[in-house]
Amino acid sequence: MSQTTDFKKAQSAASQRKSLQRLGFIGRNLALICFATFALFPIIWMITCTFKSDAEMYNTVFRFTPTLNNYKEVLVGTDYFKAFFQNLIVAGGAVLVTMIAGVPAAYGLARYNFKNKEDIAFQILSFKFAPEILVILPVFLIFQKIGLYDTYFGLIWVYQLITMPLVIWVVRGYFEDISVEIEQAAQLDGYRWYEIFLKVLLPLVKPGLVASGLLAFIYAWNSFTFPLILSGFKIQTITITSLRYIASDSVHYGQVAVAATVAIIPEIIACLFIQKHLVRGLSFGAVKG
Amino acid sequence: MARIQLEGVTRRYDRTTAINKLSLDVMDNEFFVLFGPAGAGKTTTLKCIAGSEFPQEGLVKIDGKIVNLVEPSDRNVSMVFENYALYPHLSVYDNIAFPLRSKLYRKSEAEIKAAIDKIAKLMRIDMLYERKPSQLSNGQRQRVAIGRCLVRTPNVFLMDEPLAHLDAKLKHTMRTELKEMQSAFNTTTIYVTHDYMEAMSLADRIAVLDKGEIRQLGTAKEMYYTPASEFVAKLFGEPEINILPGSYSVEDGQGWVSLLDGVRYPVPADVAAALADAPSRELDVGLRGNDIAFSFEKADGWIPGTVYANEPIGNKVIMTVSVAGNHLRLVAPNDTQARMDSTVYIQPNYNNALYFDRASEKFITRHDIEGVLSYHHGSKGKGGNA
Amino acid sequence: MAILKLNNVYKRYDNASGSPFKKKVKNDFAVNNLSFECRDGEFLGILGPSGCGKSTTLRMIAGLEQITDGDIYIGDVRINNLLPKDRNIGLAFEDYALYPPLKIYDNLAFNLRAKHVPEAEIRESVERIAKLMKVDDLLDMKPLALSGGQKQRVNIARALVRKPGLLLLDEPLSHLDGKMRQQLRYEIKRMHHEIQCTTIIVTHDQMEAMSLADRIAIMDMGKLQQIGTPLEVYDDPVNVFVAGFIGEPPMNLMTSVIHRVDGGFVFTFEGSDLRIPVPVRYNEIVSDGMKVTLGVRPVDVLIARDDEPSGTPIPVAIYEDLGDERRISVRVGENLMNLTTADAIYYERGDLVSLKFNAEKTHLFDINTGERIRAPKK
Repeated sequence: MSQTTDFKKAQSAASQRKSLQRLGFIGRNLALICFATFALFPIIWMITCTFKSDAEMYNTVFRFTPTLNNYKEVLVGTDYFKAFFQNLIVAGGAVLVTMIAGVPAAYGLARYNFKNKEDIAFQILSFKFAPEILVILPVFLIFQKIGLYDTYFGLIWVYQLITMPLVIWVVRGYFEDISVEIEQAAQLDGYRWYEIFLKVLLPLVKPGLVASGLLAFIYAWNSFTFPLILSGFKIQTITITSLRYIASDSVHYGQVAVAATVAIIPEIIACLFIQKHLVRGLSFGAVKG
Repeated sequence: MARIQLEGVTRRYDRTTAINKLSLDVMDNEFFVLFGPAGAGKTTTLKCIAGSEFPQEGLVKIDGKIVNLVEPSDRNVSMVFENYALYPHLSVYDNIAFPLRSKLYRKSEAEIKAAIDKIAKLMRIDMLYERKPSQLSNGQRQRVAIGRCLVRTPNVFLMDEPLAHLDAKLKHTMRTELKEMQSAFNTTTIYVTHDYMEAMSLADRIAVLDKGEIRQLGTAKEMYYTPASEFVAKLFGEPEINILPGSYSVEDGQGWVSLLDGVRYPVPADVAAALADAPSRELDVGLRGNDIAFSFEKADGWIPGTVYANEPIGNKVIMTVSVAGNHLRLVAPNDTQARMDSTVYIQPNYNNALYFDRASEKFITRHDIEGVLSYHHGSKGKGGNA
Repeated sequence: MAILKLNNVYKRYDNASGSPFKKKVKNDFAVNNLSFECRDGEFLGILGPSGCGKSTTLRMIAGLEQITDGDIYIGDVRINNLLPKDRNIGLAFEDYALYPPLKIYDNLAFNLRAKHVPEAEIRESVERIAKLMKVDDLLDMKPLALSGGQKQRVNIARALVRKPGLLLLDEPLSHLDGKMRQQLRYEIKRMHHEIQCTTIIVTHDQMEAMSLADRIAIMDMGKLQQIGTPLEVYDDPVNVFVAGFIGEPPMNLMTSVIHRVDGGFVFTFEGSDLRIPVPVRYNEIVSDGMKVTLGVRPVDVLIARDDEPSGTPIPVAIYEDLGDERRISVRVGENLMNLTTADAIYYERGDLVSLKFNAEKTHLFDINTGERIRAPKK
């Protein structure tokens, strides 16, 4: 038997398998499309609601006469955008403070061995365990006493309860993945600790910073309970503003939907911009593996 | 260029002592090798010199100055780490340039380019400038790490197992390349390895480390021909040295060593003198594999044994011979065919035997110590041990 | 005991991630037209660099991998479609894969119990094999308490207990350190000698293959390059790949142009004045200006006595005294040429030496194909 006939036999077997593979490919993608629809449905539904009048709101069919009235009601001549920017300041500020305090804390917890290290780390994480509603009343009373009620600073501060543990735990994992020898190498190469932190460590934990920063931002941006209780007159966040369209006698679902739709835009933009930084594995290959 | 001294340096971790009252004096421009098995404290010693580990006791001196409290970046040392420790976010070029861009060792970009080109050519990584460490093979990473170390002219180069993760062939090439570059270094080098060939090939002097203490300090020749203990003897040479229990006796003024159930041979006067002064008559005799001749024909006075295993490894065959319950490993020519369990006759060259005290396993003596240690003990064209 | 035969075996992996609608990238064959026979009771080594197809071959023999084309026989039985458990094969994995909660005894007995062998018989064979692999004093321990070498012994013992017709060892020594490796190497050899079971070892370490196997099959890029005894592949390589892969320190392989001089031919090298005489047996097939790859092992590069015909004197670049042997390297153009000798000689860097080659062990290879150019037989 010659080598070429053997080779052909191998090829025909392969082509038989090919059609099977194609079927599998279609099936896989169908399943993915189904899931995507399922996952995106709330957003799609919300966006359709923005174009409906209140009367059509309770129709479950997709046929309706689109209207921009809701947008006009919410966006034109109102203080919606004021709330929008105030929300940006509060959420951005919260993330900034978290980063400035959380990254060094994460580094400390990753690198140094000290007494009760794991206990402290767990303690930080446990801040996240308590439901907001549980702590909100004492915090409200304290804030009123010390004058933090209805201030930027007060909100930013209270957001740390949730965002800080998140950032510390994610970034700590990234720091632990960096071999300590890389820092030692940089020391021997003549760099000071702050230069090492900026030039070597930060680029390496960037994916973790970006991921946890984004999550922290989303949390702070969407937070409802804290701003509901701890602010209200001078400072309004977008989540609170949305409440205004729910009156005691009628609910303007269309307007609520508009407020919410505009509110998710910054989050979507942030996600798209940041996506490419969310690559893990940059640190692979630095040390033997 | 600097002299490096350690004086009674101790580094303990929670329960274990990595190095224990270690003292070293590495001369200016010397190529000094720290050699020992895993966990001997070699890396810790290097890091104490580099400053990334802080000893609990003892002094570290660079050029006579105590540097215990000097920051690593101010010690002007450069180091190759065993795990390379490359900066993963930087390209190969930027990795090597990194030390030259720091405030302390700052050079102009043109000078940096020249320095890197020179070193990269030497390390054969000049075509990899744009790559990231993750895109390199282990061998290339290792060479980049060595390149980053050599690009500066520091007080001392510290190299931690720089060739450990290369495959056998590349290791051989890199070792010879390093050896050739060595004269161009012109800088004190401390080199850590667990490979005896690297140690013997590269070192001006070797310190054998075990459990944080120095077992022997000396030249490669001293390690091989006059090891301080059985432990050291076993570390140098492939196959491992055969250690046989034996005993010493004197009859009519002639010293005899007996071993292997009834084999007896007379020892030369210099050996006899040392053995007579030994603490005990109970000896361990060390015989290296290439000091044992063999024959499949019965020969007068040769020791009969059986072939336990026969392993061709290319340019030679390692034959394990079973004699009176002992396994002796000897080196045979590469075309030796030996059936297992067949009878073989062996004849050790007792002139090269090493004698150890049985209880302490410390070296006692060997024949012609001055002769084998003299610098030119071999000469061109002189026949060997065959 | 069994004869293993591979006839024109192919293996091609399908593109795992690619879409079938896109133009398919043709994968090369992981194993390409592999045929060899392993004799009854033979110890065969399959040797090659990573990615050469050696592990795939082993997995196909064990039945863990589908065969794309070709046939595998054990004895007269074609085993292509037999389930792994029906092939009567013992396989020792590289990473031990012992069952951690079980004692060593139970680990060894595991397979026999699955087959409902009577307990007395199990005890008998476990004890016999444990003794053979020198793990009889470990039978009451758990795998966690064992050293790497002991685990590998147990692992091999477990493969042997079921009395396989064919024993497959996958890189059995690669996780062990130097001393342990040396020790286990000759224990495995000894084990094979005692039970004479047909055994195949897969390894990337040429030293391991050389020392253990009766014959070695050397693979590269999915293809069999050469099969032969350790001495054959070492002394008589068929191509540059085999020549370079076998042997430590590696063979000197250098590009050389042959020039005619008075009374014969010499090798010349780019960027070097070195001239070394071509062995006379090649006189009929070489010509002036011919470009070849010259292969000569470090032990076959010799330092010539004054009265011998030899090459141009050349300065020593590196001298290494390694105790057991001495290695000398000289610069030939860009490359280093190495020689090793057990003789007690001493040189300093820069000393001039005259080199010659051991004529019988000087190999020529085609500069393009890498195939060996042989001297005509007399």
